[in-house]
Amino acid sequence: MQLPQEFLGWKTDGADQVFTRQTIFDYMDGGGEIYLGYDFRRLDEREYAKPGAPRIIAEVYSMGSSEDAYGIFSHDTDGQPVDIGLGALYSAGLLRFWKDRYFVRLQPEDETPEVKAAVMALGKQIAEQIPQAGSPPALLQALPPAGLISSSVHYFHTAVSLNIHYFIDNANLLNLNARTEALLAQYQQSNDKPRLLIIRYPSSGEARTALDQFTTAYLKETPTGREILRPVEKGLFVGGRQVDRTLLLVFEAGSPDSAEHLLELAAAKMKGVAP
Amino acid sequence: MSLHEKSLRVTRRDFLAGTGYGTLALAMGIVSPGLGPSAALLQGATESPLFAAEKPVSQVVLVRDEAAVDANHQINSVVVLKMLDTAMKAFAGESDAVKAWQRYFHAQDRVGVKYTRCPSHRIHVNQAVLDAITDRLITSGVGRNQVAADDGDLRVKAKDCTALINVPSVKVHALTGIAVSIKNYINLTDHPSSYHYDGSVNLGEIWLLPEVKGKTRLIVVDMLRPYFGPGPQINPLHRWDYKGILVGTDPVAIDTVCLSICQKKRNLFKGEEWLITPPPRSLAAADSVYHLGTSDATKIKLTRLGWGNEQLI
Repeated sequence: MQLPQEFLGWKTDGADQVFTRQTIFDYMDGGGEIYLGYDFRRLDEREYAKPGAPRIIAEVYSMGSSEDAYGIFSHDTDGQPVDIGLGALYSAGLLRFWKDRYFVRLQPEDETPEVKAAVMALGKQIAEQIPQAGSPPALLQALPPAGLISSSVHYFHTAVSLNIHYFIDNANLLNLNARTEALLAQYQQSNDKPRLLIIRYPSSGEARTALDQFTTAYLKETPTGREILRPVEKGLFVGGRQVDRTLLLVFEAGSPDSAEHLLELAAAKMKGVAP
Repeated sequence: MSLHEKSLRVTRRDFLAGTGYGTLALAMGIVSPGLGPSAALLQGATESPLFAAEKPVSQVVLVRDEAAVDANHQINSVVVLKMLDTAMKAFAGESDAVKAWQRYFHAQDRVGVKYTRCPSHRIHVNQAVLDAITDRLITSGVGRNQVAADDGDLRVKAKDCTALINVPSVKVHALTGIAVSIKNYINLTDHPSSYHYDGSVNLGEIWLLPEVKGKTRLIVVDMLRPYFGPGPQINPLHRWDYKGILVGTDPVAIDTVCLSICQKKRNLFKGEEWLITPPPRSLAAADSVYHLGTSDATKIKLTRLGWGNEQLI
């Protein structure tokens, strides 16, 4: 994909940089793991300058699929939604969006009204150059809509990502890996704000193994079946259910009924998700 | 956390109960003195207020000045120098800034100033802080050509240094939990990426390498514009003008103070508890495995000077 040479008076300044799976740590040591967890393929970086105006850095990340472009976009959900690509957020100068298998970040040195207009224009121009739209992960269809806090939804594959959004344990208790798909979301209910974690494994056996490990290590109990519901700290409840090759877990439910209700809704929604 | 415990599984439940990661849950406000579920956590320290130890194991000085950063986020170097002088005088117990510096550095020292320059996060140590440190080193008698200020390139110079000043920025970190003084030395090794695994639990061992061990005479933290977001790259919404500088000699105590401030800022931002995750395992291990200092907020005395608005600690 070609980035424009210039726009609204900003011109390419300096040599472009390209980073691959092998060199991503040269660009962001301590952050490359996050991108690799979304099947990162290539980063194209270009800097733009305009006399008397802040510089703007354009980063175009090519991921393995549109699902993973959505995933890395969902890593940080703080910002104002704007209409660019298939999803975009603007936050104090920074514009992020995704379309097809591309995740794009446009980062100015400072925010001014002129810069805001510029990054919006550049973002639209880049998005228009991406011919395919792509699609978000089908697993999103498993999220019950009632009470869903939309800004709390994160899609990922690895334990590194899970532990940034919601720390479970330090040793990949749920056996997350490149072949697992996971969704984390929070719900606003009348008396609590439970979190729903949906993990789809390659096989039902792997889902069962993960549930058993979770029961043993997290609840410190002997696994007995495909469903769990236990009180934990602060008067809250943890619930879980294995549905074929999917594991549903609810954390921070205020009551057993709340946990079971959310599990029931998610299990019903899973039936409509493409295999 | 012992060497054995370092390799153990710790769950969210352990962490929230205050039984994982040592005393960090105390500094993060997850458990309270005397109220936590783990009595062992607070041995001999029940009901002690945090960061106000009467017989402290470690001392930290925090200086803030409202004029240090303007509305456009520009740094005022004159104010920064004044803040550093105030912090050093308070920390050393001297009325004169030069005398304060001379307590820690001598004319014959070759001083390495290890700062953080982070290309991806762009949470760099501000030049005004580096200039103030260099100025005061020279004013106190260290020759200009005996001061080497650098980030990664200090790796090759460290072995020739007789003293180090650790000058980190402050950022919540996607893999490490929080990155301040302990993590600032990560690129003094040949293979920094290898330290990011398992919550960066082994960062403390860098402080025990021959070219580093025992050389850190001072830590000066640039907390003018820290970062509290999830990373790995900056979202401007997650950066704030705290306008602070911290001085101390205990890296674990200093990082614990910064952890506490950033945790409170995250809670304020979301309007509810937004835990720093993954929990900073490297900080717990720096205390109980590598013995670099204390992370117990009941054993730290924090001296707070200057601007008090939204101090968060």
